[in-house]
Amino acid sequence: MAKAFMAYPELRSPFEATQIHPEGSATVLYQGKTITLSETGSGDELLINPKDLGQINGFEIKPEGACFRELCIPLNDQLLVEQDGKQWFNLTAFANLLDQPYVADHEAGVWSFAEIPAKRANMMVDAMAPDIELTDRTGEVVRLADLKGKKALIVTWSSW
Amino acid sequence: MPVWQRIYEEINDPDFVIICAAQDTGGEAAAGPIFDAANPTYIQVVDEDHLVSSAFNFVNVPSAAWIDEEGRIVRIDEGTYSKVHELGVGDQSISFGTNVYEPALKDWVANGAQSKHVQSAATVAGNIRQHTADQQKADAAFCLGNLFRKHGQDNKADEYWNMASALNPDSVNFIRQNLTLSEEGSAGERFRAMRDNFEATGTDYYRPIDIEH
Repeated sequence: MAKAFMAYPELRSPFEATQIHPEGSATVLYQGKTITLSETGSGDELLINPKDLGQINGFEIKPEGACFRELCIPLNDQLLVEQDGKQWFNLTAFANLLDQPYVADHEAGVWSFAEIPAKRANMMVDAMAPDIELTDRTGEVVRLADLKGKKALIVTWSSW
Repeated sequence: MPVWQRIYEEINDPDFVIICAAQDTGGEAAAGPIFDAANPTYIQVVDEDHLVSSAFNFVNVPSAAWIDEEGRIVRIDEGTYSKVHELGVGDQSISFGTNVYEPALKDWVANGAQSKHVQSAATVAGNIRQHTADQQKADAAFCLGNLFRKHGQDNKADEYWNMASALNPDSVNFIRQNLTLSEEGSAGERFRAMRDNFEATGTDYYRPIDIEH
């Protein structure tokens, strides 16, 4: 039988089964990045080393709170928690506070986060393009914010 | 893709860029040869996680945004065909697309804010699809499925892709990307059933292009 139009069933399982991260680690997905965390707290919440926050979503811990540009979220004992004598940042509580949806696969230790709505508020109100980063086919990182001064057409397509 | 390259060459303005983003979980293997065949000089992205669709709340391809020199979106989310395409022959032939988009784009690049095709911030903001929390969560589920597929864990990959489709049933991208991995492909019976259902329920397959002829 001839192959159907735009059918690639062979791509359902193109890869060998491999471990997502070393034993005891966790993985966070956010905005196209895959971040492996070598240490996390225990439990169903995602407790991260506060130092890892910046590499995940660009927020920094400051005296006034967890901050991204002018947005600062005050810290409280829901966000900064003690466990086994160590201080952790509760990333899932932070997401809930920011109305940021996420999906967790606890068995695999992977948390996938959608965009933080506050980061897109300028688009939804003032039509300002979101500050996304894409990697082009040559490996160059393209940031929409770096295209200021030029007009840009950003267009999607697909092979299917 | 060759059409966008022709348009890019005809516009030939150093202060105009095209970013073409393939929404393809199959990565370079799926999208690379199609890009290469067009010999493009514009910015080419193989967007395995559909980040561009997620960022602009697009639900189908092709879709686009025009972004001006200040970073403001001045048109968004239209079925961005650059010409009328004809597929198939005889009774099976279909045509789709439009010839009005290309001249409008060229007019904007030439005339900027003076172009009649530039829309106000309020109009653009109104044309951005409002996604519910569940629809945003769908993007996270889709990326999670992609990670599992890359690690050969297909059952989990399918589980999270199905979750993404259930959370955002408006996403033609999710439905068709998933159908590509089936024997019937992305343009078979289930695709036609989906289109019929969209039509019956008045769901946008694309937002109609609002450009004067």
